[in-house]
Amino acid sequence: MRQVLLIAQKEIKVALREKLVVSLGAVTLLLLGVALYAGYVSYRQQQEIITETQAEKRKEWLNQGDKHPHIAAHYGTFVFKSKTVLSLFDFGLDAYTGTSVYLEAHYQHGFMFRPAQDHTSMIRFGELSAALVLQVLVPLLIIFLAFGAFTRERESGTLKLLMSQGISFRILTWGKIVAYGIILAVVLLPFVAGIFILSVSGIRQEVIPDVAFRALLLVLIYGVYLWLFISFSVWISLRSATGRNALLTLLTCWMFFAVLMPKTVANLSESFYSLPSMREFRARIQEDKRNGLDGKTPRSVRMARLEKAYLEKYRVDSVQQLPFNFEGVSMQAGEEHGNKVYDHHLGKLRETFHRQNRLRSIASLFNPYLAVQHLSMALSGTDMHTFIYFEEEVEDYRRELVRKMNKDMAENSRYGEFYGYKAQSDLWQEIDDFTYQTPTAPVLLQLYHLEILSLLFWMMSVFVLLNYSNRKMKPLHG
Amino acid sequence: MDKTTQTLIRYEWKSFIRNRFQLLMLAAAFVFGMYAIYYGQSEINGQRQTIEAVTALEQKEFFEYKASFREELTTLEAEQTHDIASRPAYAWYRHGYHAILPPHDYAPLAIGQRDLFRYYYRLTGMSLHYQLFENELANPVNLMAGNFDLSFVLIYLFPLLIIAFCYGLFSAERENGTLALLQIQSVSIRKIILVRLAFYFTMVTGLALLISSIGLLTSGNPLAEENRLPAAAWITGVAAYCAFWFGLMFLIVSFRKNSSFNAISAAGCWLVFLIVVPALLNVLVTTKFPLSSTTLAGLMRRTSLENENDEEEAREVVMEFLAHTPKLAGSDSLLHNNLLSKAYAAFTSLKDINSKEAVDRYMAQVIRRNKWGARFHWLSPAINMQNLQTKMAKTDLHTFLLFHKALANFHESITDFYFSRLFWDKPIRQEDYSNLPVFEMSEIKDRWDAIRIGLSKIMLMAVLAFGIGYVKMK
Repeated sequence: MRQVLLIAQKEIKVALREKLVVSLGAVTLLLLGVALYAGYVSYRQQQEIITETQAEKRKEWLNQGDKHPHIAAHYGTFVFKSKTVLSLFDFGLDAYTGTSVYLEAHYQHGFMFRPAQDHTSMIRFGELSAALVLQVLVPLLIIFLAFGAFTRERESGTLKLLMSQGISFRILTWGKIVAYGIILAVVLLPFVAGIFILSVSGIRQEVIPDVAFRALLLVLIYGVYLWLFISFSVWISLRSATGRNALLTLLTCWMFFAVLMPKTVANLSESFYSLPSMREFRARIQEDKRNGLDGKTPRSVRMARLEKAYLEKYRVDSVQQLPFNFEGVSMQAGEEHGNKVYDHHLGKLRETFHRQNRLRSIASLFNPYLAVQHLSMALSGTDMHTFIYFEEEVEDYRRELVRKMNKDMAENSRYGEFYGYKAQSDLWQEIDDFTYQTPTAPVLLQLYHLEILSLLFWMMSVFVLLNYSNRKMKPLHG
Repeated sequence: MDKTTQTLIRYEWKSFIRNRFQLLMLAAAFVFGMYAIYYGQSEINGQRQTIEAVTALEQKEFFEYKASFREELTTLEAEQTHDIASRPAYAWYRHGYHAILPPHDYAPLAIGQRDLFRYYYRLTGMSLHYQLFENELANPVNLMAGNFDLSFVLIYLFPLLIIAFCYGLFSAERENGTLALLQIQSVSIRKIILVRLAFYFTMVTGLALLISSIGLLTSGNPLAEENRLPAAAWITGVAAYCAFWFGLMFLIVSFRKNSSFNAISAAGCWLVFLIVVPALLNVLVTTKFPLSSTTLAGLMRRTSLENENDEEEAREVVMEFLAHTPKLAGSDSLLHNNLLSKAYAAFTSLKDINSKEAVDRYMAQVIRRNKWGARFHWLSPAINMQNLQTKMAKTDLHTFLLFHKALANFHESITDFYFSRLFWDKPIRQEDYSNLPVFEMSEIKDRWDAIRIGLSKIMLMAVLAFGIGYVKMK
């Protein structure tokens, strides 16, 4: 152990002498700071506007005046997607998922306004977030730092000297890994501290319940990820004859993992499982709403059946004799039919999304970058699953709102007198304001078992590789 | 070409074809290029199919309307169709027109923002803003990952190829021990490096141009009127972009450092141009010009008259609308006919009139923030190149902003068509169907100026990098 530390100490000294590496490290740290600050500013800006607008829309709903409940259900309300506080660390899909949605009767509007639409195509290069720095840039820094770990000793002949002093490859390898680990930890410490302070205190956070736990997990997975890169780089250096070869091999791997593969997998998934166009999607829903999911029960048949059932149940001859307004009941039945049709088609659409994304998850088994990208988004609450969960909560809220309006219509209005009845603000009050919390981290992480498996698998593989090579290396011929 | 140059080239050729790794890299680049072209075309063909489908639907709809004038109306359904076809009170909110932004022939090569924006809308005379904001279906994860199109291959991968070929131009000789041998020759080191650089420039740029030509030829006829200029600009751009990277490599090599230093510096430059600068600019644009679409969301709200039975309210709404619409002035004498339909039409139009300012302001902000961002494009030839290619292929943001503007105009001509009949109590006649509103979109005026300036910036940077390298290499 003492020897390991000794080696580490020497390695740190050498690294600090390399001006290029030191300045790259400084730049990385600076970028990290800028990314975090910008993330914070943008989080504050968006959150402020969203809170404000949400309150405004709530007020509009409450003060909409006296009107028929069904008109109110069409007047509807809006929900805006809040940013989670951890999104200042990882923007994730925030630029590509819609941000606002209009809730009204009969119709499930999609989320509107993807923030990326307000940018030129430059946005496709990506936005600078702390996650981007840690996922893409820091690994490169590690490569620059560690590619020469063994090749330098080899090229300058000091490897043989070390061996002759009875140092084993094992000690040397771990000494170097510890050294780079320490350097990285020191560089990243202020950042880790910063993110902790930001996420734990300071900002009130209702959307995401377990920030501290998530932050801790984030530190853990990034720790594992960067450790993987360090060990992998040292291993490549161990196996390479010259520094040039080591560097090229590592850069090629980085390029493949971080640039080429994510895009290729995404595009392949798009080719394997294609999405319908919005027009097709809506047309199919429209068709099934009209003729039923079986294609054989049009609205008139459904309504006649409903009417018959109610007349039989209450033993009356006409709907006018029912103790409530049948229009409210039929309205709700229509709504429920619409929901069923919508759920059917949305389910199919989500299944396609799911298949596309599962391909990425499978690919993450071969690519730790993808694994960390997914886990980081998940923990920051900016991933696809969190978004879908949010979408579902919103749709539930819409259904509840419409149901209450229809119920009031059935109970209080009279058949055939649409403008005769007006509900008042006490009915609007009955609809609670929309609130939402992301699922907790453990729930979410269950959906990402492939990614977690990937990290474990890579960790094991690197251990095995290091051990194997350490045993097999023959220094004097190296 | 003098004899020594010929010898140098011959030698370079020999070592080039012997180096299997280099050949493999070129082959891989070619394969990636082909895949990118295929992928882009399949994406855009999907969009073309959607466009065909919606156009067919519209034709079917209007065919039925037209037919209802000729056929005998025997069924209730036929009668209803004829009502919708001939009575403006139904027609104005039922007749749907598609505004379509067809892809340029070269859109498959640079998909740009085309996967992010809608390229077709069905518009009726109803409130414009109720119809504008629905997004196309897309998987956000894939949107974030971006497209593997030819533009990506050229902008991201070719520089890496160039780096891999050039980083050892000088240092490898020293590291292999052949430098001293070269130095005792009568040819200067600079000349040797230059010839080798020219050799690889021909190889790599040649490959890039070959792939581009395949892309251009298979995506459309490069000689067709609307393709000629984009094709020429594309070829020029690719050559200039490759030249820039070769110039940069020459500059790095001219410092005469070791291979690892060169590789690190070159990879660092790649990182700065392709990741750091654009990512930084994007986040600056976002925070410096915060935009919130929440202001627009409210325009989606479906509202209508407070009480359909209240004639007074209906009249008021129509009068307010007429005050805004000089073309219909005087039609208030006919108000007693079809009052409710007129009131609805007036109501949704008033909504559009009132929200126009908010939408315009938002669009102006979008333009403003991106203008600011564009001021820094020169910082990275990669951003510049990507921007130019999307401009050539008409998949850039500006095209979509223009499309939005054209949508508003189209909607206006639709409402004009129906409201002039609705408010003057005139039916829609069979012959009116030959004068239906048509979607038109103007061309961006300074598109080619911007492309020319952008291209010259890349060339200038190439010359600059090369020039400094040339002086340093002495």
